[in-house]
Amino acid sequence: MSAAVKRRDLGAAVLLGVPVLLCALAIVVPLVLTLIISFWERQMIGMRPGFSLASYALFFDGARFSVLQRSFWVATSSTLLMLASAYLVAYLITFKLPPSRTRIFLFLLSVPFLVNYVIRTFSWAYLLGRTGPLNQFLQWAGLTSHPIDWLLFSDFAVYLGLVAAYMPFMVYPIWLSLSAIDRRLIEASWMLGEPPLGTFLKVVLPLSLPGVFAAAIFGFVGAFGEVAVSQILGGVGYQLMGNAITSSLDVLNYPMAAAMSTVVVGCMLLLLLLWLRFFDLRLFLGKMLGR
Amino acid sequence: MMKPWTRILVWLCLAGVLLFLYAPLFPPLLLAIQDPATGQLTLQNFGTIHSDPTLVGALMNSIILAAIVGVAAPLLALAAAQAVRSFGIPRLIITVILLPLFIPGVSMGVSTSLFFNLTGIDPSLLTMAVVQTLWALPFAFLIILTVMSGFDTLYLEAAYTCGANRAQAFREIELPQIAPGISGAATFSVILSFNETIRTAVVQGGNNTIQTFIWSRYQQVGLTPNMYALMSLIIAVTLLLILVLVALGRKQQPAT
Repeated sequence: MSAAVKRRDLGAAVLLGVPVLLCALAIVVPLVLTLIISFWERQMIGMRPGFSLASYALFFDGARFSVLQRSFWVATSSTLLMLASAYLVAYLITFKLPPSRTRIFLFLLSVPFLVNYVIRTFSWAYLLGRTGPLNQFLQWAGLTSHPIDWLLFSDFAVYLGLVAAYMPFMVYPIWLSLSAIDRRLIEASWMLGEPPLGTFLKVVLPLSLPGVFAAAIFGFVGAFGEVAVSQILGGVGYQLMGNAITSSLDVLNYPMAAAMSTVVVGCMLLLLLLWLRFFDLRLFLGKMLGR
Repeated sequence: MMKPWTRILVWLCLAGVLLFLYAPLFPPLLLAIQDPATGQLTLQNFGTIHSDPTLVGALMNSIILAAIVGVAAPLLALAAAQAVRSFGIPRLIITVILLPLFIPGVSMGVSTSLFFNLTGIDPSLLTMAVVQTLWALPFAFLIILTVMSGFDTLYLEAAYTCGANRAQAFREIELPQIAPGISGAATFSVILSFNETIRTAVVQGGNNTIQTFIWSRYQQVGLTPNMYALMSLIIAVTLLLILVLVALGRKQQPAT
């Protein structure tokens, strides 16, 4: 980059610096504050500053801990499921479609993503219900004689809802990584006698890992803190971390909500730090940062 | 190059994915135009929307919020994207601005609501606008960053050589080039604001948007055909906005 573009201009620096600083503060300060509040003491109404591990003790001790465990398991397993399907989609559109079609498909993928996923999840509750279209179709096709109950208000429904909500977004980072791979490397691998599967495992997959990891974080973030999908599709009593946090807020137990939120955000930041540690942001966003 | 059956398999697979993603867009309309008792088609459920004063208020709030977020997010994103290029700390800026993407919606909502709580700011349209702007910011930022990467900074140098100052060079040379990206980011932000529930619900206080209205109705009394009518309207408006986005994209790249 040339010196001219970077040249010193106090006015411009202030004009850009102030809003960016404000944004950074608006994003970071509340998160730090949440961490602090998680150590405060709960009172009948509201909270009192202090240093107490009571909220964490209650969290890791009580029924909420099983919610954390379940969230962790659901988030991990659904992320793997979403990664597999997102990778397949990204791979197909990168290598098996002509470039013009790839762009159209990516656009088509983003259209439903822009419609509120809560509304889409309501739709799934209807589609999967006992008298819903899916059950009717299965009976019409003769695959089952009576409505299948586990389609809705079950783990199956929650996983399906999570995949529908977060998988489309995970295709993008994987596609970014895949499309940045130099095709000559793949051809070289072929010419050196590696069969297609070997080429994929030894060349394509390793080179796409930055995108895969980014996608994994997106999926995990969504599933781990989920509120709507678990409530709508999981049925009564199905709780993930997001539900536990909102129910703590509902009873005005702010330190507890803060403690649980901090644990969730902590997990995310850990994943993000790992990602930044192992992969170069510039490598991944190279296309967007350009020259 | 590809065997015919592989090609068919690829298309089937991708069509299946699209079917899976588009299927949920239709049930609200279906449930809205059907009379639950008789099964007959009716438009009555759409008609009753405007007679509910809470709902009309919620709709107004949604429109005001979308307008605020649609202006604030792209402007802040533009500042951040320019800062990435001119300040020497691109990694830091990118990481912080993209951070909301990596924080679950509830946590972001809880954190901001605790912040407002402690600073004594009551829940209002303003707090909702802040939360939604922070959510739309990373997306607007990525869009503008992408357009800016297609802009050759040599033009700026040329402008400086001709005696333009920083502001002039930006306004007269760069802005016309990246303007479609900025309006794209604005449209995207409007769509995101219009379709946001969870973060907004945490800081809403007594206010409602149509999204939080549907969400609280669902939690309190369950969904009625009215709500499905509302949902299908939301879907229709969102699809319309996406068409605007496409039109803007065409303007930007006449070649494609």
